[in-house]
Amino acid sequence: MQNAKDSFYMALRTRLATINPERTVLLRGAVRPGILVEEAEAPFSQLPSDVFILRWLGLGIETDLGSTMAAAECEILYQTCGTQSFGGLDRGRAMNEMDEELVAMLSPCFTPKLNYTATPPATMLTQVFWDEPGLGPISVQRDRLSRSAKVMVYSYQEQGE
Amino acid sequence: MTTNWFSAPAPVARRVRGYFAPVNRAAQTPVLFDPAEQGKFSLDAPPAPWISLGWIQGFTRKPGSKTSPVLSGIPAGTLQQVRETLEAQVSFEFLSWTKLTMALATGSQHMNLLAPAIGSSAAANGAQASAAIALQSGSSASSIQLASADAARFTPGSIIALDADYTGQTGFVGAPIAGAYLRQPLTDVDYIRRVTFNVALVSQVNSTGLMLAEPLLGGAPLPGAKLQAVTGFVDREGGSFYQEWSALFVMQGSQGERICCHYPRLQTMTGAEEAAIPLDSKNQGGQARMLLKGRFLALPVTDPLDGERVLCYRSFLPATKALI
Repeated sequence: MQNAKDSFYMALRTRLATINPERTVLLRGAVRPGILVEEAEAPFSQLPSDVFILRWLGLGIETDLGSTMAAAECEILYQTCGTQSFGGLDRGRAMNEMDEELVAMLSPCFTPKLNYTATPPATMLTQVFWDEPGLGPISVQRDRLSRSAKVMVYSYQEQGE
Repeated sequence: MTTNWFSAPAPVARRVRGYFAPVNRAAQTPVLFDPAEQGKFSLDAPPAPWISLGWIQGFTRKPGSKTSPVLSGIPAGTLQQVRETLEAQVSFEFLSWTKLTMALATGSQHMNLLAPAIGSSAAANGAQASAAIALQSGSSASSIQLASADAARFTPGSIIALDADYTGQTGFVGAPIAGAYLRQPLTDVDYIRRVTFNVALVSQVNSTGLMLAEPLLGGAPLPGAKLQAVTGFVDREGGSFYQEWSALFVMQGSQGERICCHYPRLQTMTGAEEAAIPLDSKNQGGQARMLLKGRFLALPVTDPLDGERVLCYRSFLPATKALI
């Protein structure tokens, strides 16, 4: 499932760079599109704001098929306090903007599966695909708005996986 | 050793996309879909003359052809089978209300409510319409040329119907898409514009005419066509006319594979019906989406390949590098 997880993340990251090039994050000295995988970064004491964070949760396997199908649940967390120039009064609008970016990033709901351990990344035979996101309610913590969305990501296991 | 193929399980698809094309009713000529040539078309840009009706839900195919055994011997055993009748039904729900989806989901003529003339008496299909407007030369499927005084009568957001005056003809009326069948002459000069599929939303108005938000289904207006404002649509339960269209249903699989079901001739087989689907499944008494329900009977065509009579073609375009 690692190739599927990598491909899903890279697809969303590439799409986000097109949808909103302004949404970036400075991480380990590099400016990158504002989306990251929690398990691939150093632990956060506080999740960064205005960035999408992918957290991988459950995993299911269906073996009664010509190719084994794996399903992994991905939680996408994001939060915002709005902008300083508006004193945070635009946090609702900022959250709405992130909601729209998330929905746009997830469409279309498939992407080619690539092996990112190879250089350059090797295109595999199948595609990764996913359901529509289930968006949770907004959580309010002082001036911080946060939301989590869950997406089920599917992939067929290929030889060597 | 690495393989460059994979064993593809059954296709996984979320939704079904529907496309329709008008059957030439007078010549009884359906529109054919060639999956070899056209199968990989972009779902948002179907090949002409197919019209996308968007995603549909609850798509169900029901074969109804009956077979009988030919018995032989004592005691009798089946020697072979013969196909006694050909029948297939298709049903689904449209996710939008448009002129075309309404027409397809009703068992009879589908009519445009023409803007009424001042003081005209009420009628169930719309009162006597205000006078039709003649077109200037140079109109196309998406741009209508009018005299400036006529153009000024419309605003962006107006709906128009555009077709010829009715002059007493019988048989199928409306070109190139038949909207009704008349057994006897009528007196309503606007009748063809009442049933025409050449309707559109006006997106812009200028001194030379109207720009349309989407091209007319029937293409550029024919000489003699006139225009009237439309206020809505109406259909009836009853009547003797059946809508008949060629239909194509596409299921796009998660691995790029595609299943296409092509029905050269589909006739609506039930009257107008809606399905109310609650927006919130936990609140059955709350807001509900009203979906148009469509149920169709497939009619046979003779396949020129071998002379067999068939109702539907199902084609499968496998995913790249999938075992077959």
